[in-house]
Amino acid sequence: MPLTDMPDFAGTILQEFVSRSTTRVDTPVIQPAAPFLDMAGEDLRRRIFLTENERGESLCLRPEFTIPVCLRHIETATGTPKRYAYLGEVFRQRREGPQEFYQAGIEDLGDIATAAADARAIADSVAILTRLLPTKPLSVTLGDQSVFEAVVKALGLPAGWQKRLIQAFGNPVQIEQLLRTLATPTPVPGLAPEVSGLLAKGDQNALIAHIDATMQETGYLTNASRTPAEIARRLKEKLELSETRLDGAALLLLREFLSLELPLGDASAALAGFADAAGLKLGQALSLFDQRVAALASTGVDLGQITYRAAFGRPLDYYTGLVFEVAVRGKPAVLAGGGRFDRLLTLLGAESHIPAVGFSLWLDRIDAERSAK
Amino acid sequence: MTITIGLPSKGRMKDDASAIFEKAGMKIVAVGNDRSYRGRVEGFDDVEIAYLSASEISREIGNGTVDFGVTGEDLIREGLAEADARVEIAARLGFGHADVVVAVPEIWYDVDTMADLGDVAAEFRTRHGRRLAIATKYWRLTQQHFSGSHGIQLYRIVESLGATEGAPAAGQADIIVDITSTGSTLRANHLKVLSDGVILRSEACLVRARKTEHDGNPMIGRIIEAVRSVL
Repeated sequence: MPLTDMPDFAGTILQEFVSRSTTRVDTPVIQPAAPFLDMAGEDLRRRIFLTENERGESLCLRPEFTIPVCLRHIETATGTPKRYAYLGEVFRQRREGPQEFYQAGIEDLGDIATAAADARAIADSVAILTRLLPTKPLSVTLGDQSVFEAVVKALGLPAGWQKRLIQAFGNPVQIEQLLRTLATPTPVPGLAPEVSGLLAKGDQNALIAHIDATMQETGYLTNASRTPAEIARRLKEKLELSETRLDGAALLLLREFLSLELPLGDASAALAGFADAAGLKLGQALSLFDQRVAALASTGVDLGQITYRAAFGRPLDYYTGLVFEVAVRGKPAVLAGGGRFDRLLTLLGAESHIPAVGFSLWLDRIDAERSAK
Repeated sequence: MTITIGLPSKGRMKDDASAIFEKAGMKIVAVGNDRSYRGRVEGFDDVEIAYLSASEISREIGNGTVDFGVTGEDLIREGLAEADARVEIAARLGFGHADVVVAVPEIWYDVDTMADLGDVAAEFRTRHGRRLAIATKYWRLTQQHFSGSHGIQLYRIVESLGATEGAPAAGQADIIVDITSTGSTLRANHLKVLSDGVILRSEACLVRARKTEHDGNPMIGRIIEAVRSVL
């Protein structure tokens, strides 16, 4: 018997999943910890329940379903497209609220019609929540990393800066720090005269040879993770980045973009207007955005309840495009969260690129909302 | 109520801690023989000394099984979640200085700051098929510094219980987070500390467990005052 009871509306959710032609999967509660820490980062370590087996391998209690479902998909070498559904307990260390609770959701793997698949994920989560909470008005917040990437690219920043900004997308503190550095670049300090000499001459081969020789002398080379060529390349890149200064107008544009927040129905026009006024070519990202809005409209979801927030994202490197959250209007608790993670399956070891989008429902929060007036 | 003070059971930390208490008018004498793990304080009948290993001291203060302890701030901050809510640093004792630092191979000419390290970590997986590996025994401090203060998520901690400085050259990890007092071991292993890589400047501290029984007990204040008066 589980310690926490399955919520009474679990059956309704399973019905909804069946009617959406999904395959129900279950995954073991005890999972190898490495994939979670590898994908989500070490920050997760203090939020999961870790243990070890006799052979010293790290194991954890399942903290979420997306990674186990994707791993299972790769192991069973099932073809795509495939829609998986899950419902079960997850375990997380939390300051407030229970540490074991139920989650349910759908992972949509391998559908190459991405706009339609994105729209379906949002529409499914909204429809299921509407059935569970028929009297509550829902609000959806939507973000799109690929639009941000397009803006950063169109501003003509060096690749290194683009990477930094994209990496930080969704983390406002980090973005703010980067924007400040971009406004006032700092020189590269503390290089040995020989190294800065070679760098100034632009003699990349001599620099690599110098690094290589030093590594040999210090006995580093045999086990070194970063090669002399890699260090030399990034040193050059760093020098270029340090000399990059984003002019005031471009910085204002970035800030203006990040502050965009408006009903999704108006977002396409606003983004097009922004691109025109700024003289930026956002072509493909915007047309994909528009396609998604159109696909959403054709699912029958009320676009009026969806807000587009340009700065909304998740700072994890496997999220690639859409992210969204659903809550009861005016309440902070996120009842459903989802997004597109096109990079996750290859990171987990899939041999081919598999586009993927999904969402997950927080059943304990939904339960609380059902009991609230 | 008897007040228990946990002290390091051996080494310089033990000697330095005993010296401070003696200067403060609290001479510690072993109960039984010199190797005993219990002690008492001359003239303080309600105070007893428990000799413990340094890392256990932080745990025992956290649990409240001892009232005071002398241990490094690094062990307190590493060993206890929400340390400031559970313990009070009553006095910094001026010995046992050591910094917990982020150190990378000297040859990484392109890495001088945490921001540089963030760039390297972000592309590490694409280049090397795995995350940047950090050898450390300080996983909590590492995680706070990397994830909390610098927004770096993409790394893996490789637990290292000793000779951490050797991990990068041995290929067990790429960089380390470790304690250093003079930096000479780091230099000998061709490692350098990042310019913003000092996570914590640690020293030995008199640490008090935050226990409600301490409220209104004059002995608590007396011990703290006695120690502070000789620093």
